[in-house]
Amino acid sequence: MRNFTFILGLLLASCGLAAQVTALTGATVHPLSGEAIENGVVLIENGRISAVGSGLEIPAGAEVVDVSGKHVYPGFVHPLSALGLTEISSVAGTVDTTEMGQINAAVRVEVAFNHDSALLPVNVAGGILTTHSVPGGGLIRGSSAVMAMEGWSWEDMVIKAPAGMHISFPAGAASDSGNDDLKKIDEVLEAARHWHRAMRAHEAGNAPRPARNDQLQALGPLLSGDVPLFLYAAREKEIIAALDWAKGQELEQLILVAGPDVQYVAERLAEENIPVILNGIYTMPTRRWEPYDMAYAAAGKLFDAGVKFAISDGGGGFGATNARNLPFQAGSSAAFGLPKDAALKSVTLWAAEILGVGDELGSLEPGKRATLMVTDGDPLEVMTSINRVWIDGEEYDLGRSKHRQLYERYKGRIQAQLEAGE
Amino acid sequence: MKRFSVFLATLALSISAGADYRPDVEAWNISAAPPQQAVVVRGATIWTAADDGVLEDADLVVQGGRIVAVGQGLDAPRGALEIDGAGMHVTPGIIDAHSHAAIVGGVNESTLISTAHVRIEDVIDSESINIYRQLAGGVTAVNLLHGSANAIGGQMAVIKMRWGSSPRELIFDAAPPGIKFALGENPKQSNWNNDTPRYPQTRPGVAQIIDERFQQAADYRRKMDEMPTGRQARDVVRPRPDLEMEAIASILDDVLKIHSHAYRADEMVMLINIAEAFGITIGTFQHVLEGYKLARRMAEHGAGGSGFIDWWNFKHEASDAIPYNPALMAMAGVLTGLHSDNPELARRMNLEAAKAVRYGGVDPHEAVKMITANPARQLGVGDRTGRLEAGLDADFVIWNGHPLSVYSRVEQTWVDGRRYFDREADLAAREALEEERLALMAEVLASEGDDDEESGEDSAEDGGWLLGYRASELAHDEFCHAQEFGHIHGGHARGIDFRSGNR
Repeated sequence: MRNFTFILGLLLASCGLAAQVTALTGATVHPLSGEAIENGVVLIENGRISAVGSGLEIPAGAEVVDVSGKHVYPGFVHPLSALGLTEISSVAGTVDTTEMGQINAAVRVEVAFNHDSALLPVNVAGGILTTHSVPGGGLIRGSSAVMAMEGWSWEDMVIKAPAGMHISFPAGAASDSGNDDLKKIDEVLEAARHWHRAMRAHEAGNAPRPARNDQLQALGPLLSGDVPLFLYAAREKEIIAALDWAKGQELEQLILVAGPDVQYVAERLAEENIPVILNGIYTMPTRRWEPYDMAYAAAGKLFDAGVKFAISDGGGGFGATNARNLPFQAGSSAAFGLPKDAALKSVTLWAAEILGVGDELGSLEPGKRATLMVTDGDPLEVMTSINRVWIDGEEYDLGRSKHRQLYERYKGRIQAQLEAGE
Repeated sequence: MKRFSVFLATLALSISAGADYRPDVEAWNISAAPPQQAVVVRGATIWTAADDGVLEDADLVVQGGRIVAVGQGLDAPRGALEIDGAGMHVTPGIIDAHSHAAIVGGVNESTLISTAHVRIEDVIDSESINIYRQLAGGVTAVNLLHGSANAIGGQMAVIKMRWGSSPRELIFDAAPPGIKFALGENPKQSNWNNDTPRYPQTRPGVAQIIDERFQQAADYRRKMDEMPTGRQARDVVRPRPDLEMEAIASILDDVLKIHSHAYRADEMVMLINIAEAFGITIGTFQHVLEGYKLARRMAEHGAGGSGFIDWWNFKHEASDAIPYNPALMAMAGVLTGLHSDNPELARRMNLEAAKAVRYGGVDPHEAVKMITANPARQLGVGDRTGRLEAGLDADFVIWNGHPLSVYSRVEQTWVDGRRYFDREADLAAREALEEERLALMAEVLASEGDDDEESGEDSAEDGGWLLGYRASELAHDEFCHAQEFGHIHGGHARGIDFRSGNR
């Protein structure tokens, strides 16, 4: 804590005429990077957290927001969603999640992120303050983006893009070494390696420029290790085959996106230090004969084995509408073996770290984005209310949620009807 | 009522008697119901879902399948099983008023706009693993409904989760008959992949066809009633019995209760108007997404609201669905309940109830009623189950913490005073099942020399990435919503399921 105060001092000294400071006071602050702080203070400056601690001196002229009796938490980081890319899953014109064809490496989702999607305010009201929005079409699906949930255009909202390349491991390849889809992926990656070698030769003045090819070019950051591969595999056999395949590809950064079967591969994942996005625990057990809580217990098994993981919600166009339920998947995991503090980190700090934005988000620490929420209790509990939200240091008007608007409007009507004896 | 009995007799198909019933040998199946026990749960927090509210440090006494008493310091019947409820919470069993979780052979009979003559009770899958899994989530009774393909759908079946019993034995005898209706996008085929469109294609058409069928059924009933009886009957030819008309006529007799899938306010007002013109009361609106927009009208009419709490925007007609809907409907005096419509969601209905607290500040005890007493009343079984009160069926759940907490788990679920789910026994069974599985595998390998030890893995048909399930266990109303709780289906072309590898 002393460190934080020290940093604050430095900041104040260096800023001189500091920008507007916002001070959240009186709440129990849960930095997640350390122990909870009773009657803590969070200072926000230039969109970032400048200090967190107890008994901090509040700079003169700071806007003091008294949140006594409440709790301050970092916002949830959704590790895998279609937010911004879909509106109504049954209306084709509103859906931009799924490009046709099998090779879509050049697709970048941030360019279609609808900053005024009605889904965004509704999910911000549920504490989803950052989304990793991902493409969903084909074998090589394109690159994803980590986005803030608030802004006047997608350009303002990009936190990290490209955040990674997404490849769906063909299920059939688990038991068929000659699988055509996997061959296709291999061919494209091989072609991309050649293309980039040729390009480097060209840039060094040693060769003619290779023919333009968007798909191959887009795989550059993956092959050079600048962005991770998000590799999708559902069941145990496929996960193992996918991991073996990825090893052969010698990619520097690999993130496995998998279903609850991933628990059966936990030891290997821990050994090989491969992070996991556990994509939804609110599912049936993979096999009919498995225990009823097989999926609910998956995160706890990963934790016990020492795997680094984030919990997601299965995503999809329909899932995006209720991305706000993400924290409950973490909470339910805690009912079945995952420690509560790990559950909270699995949808905040660990998600941010796995997405490569751990220095920006996921905990309340000086220097990080002031993207946080004030609640009346444990944010993984369904009964808890989220009272106020800040995104990048700006308080967000929760009344922008369409659901709140309709609620207020019709509550007024029903009250009036009841008063009039109708 | 007499007419209805005749009608039932006419319809009754031969269903194998319970005595002949033998469940398949599969993991988790049991061959006989657990014994009915005298039980006393001591010192628990008891959520009665009744006027007594929440009782701290209280006892629940059960005997002969019924609740004998709820209160403090109660005497137990001789030989009663004593359960230490310290730190535990007890609620009534959860009643799910909208389920497709145990139906064989398809949820939707989508050929005709009215299929009033088809019945769920003929196609109950008593071996659906969903029954056991939902018991593990505290569910003790569900309403099995047809899908939403038809304006006038089929007849529903309310069952108790008597795992291991025959289809016939599952049927909850106290439940009055009911029938599924559907309004809006689904009956008008908005999202169907369909080369042969069917009338109607609009909401006005849906209204028209319901009104017309009601008129026809009224005429049919009049004609039947006017038939002479006794000696005179010999001289006339009776009209040919029409099973569809019989069913719809019994709606008009207020025997078959309407439970209508509905999203938008306009279509609900429409159906209320038709019902009132024929002098009947709608049982419930199912899903009832915009119920909050006509809540007082629903309350005046007497229709219950049985809804999702937070599903929205998956179809255009779900644009204005809000999670505050249950709170607002309850405030307006509507008998409000929450349902699953989904075999996975059904396993955690307590958290759906918790959302009613989150959205609109419903009192937690009232929220518990939304998954117990209220759906029981909506289904006409409120005098038998859904509350913890002396005289009611011993359908109850023991939780290891606050029933609306995300950190709580079901420890035991009892139906009719029989313990159908016990987490401790479940944990023990896992080991035995795994041993058995390995032994069987070894036998297969030895006899066939098959080196693919998980040869079943690649044969999942309709289940997406799920394996070994029966079709009935994954069945759902394909016209209702994009199901993403465990599998993908072909009709949902634009949905994506990130969990899945490319298939």
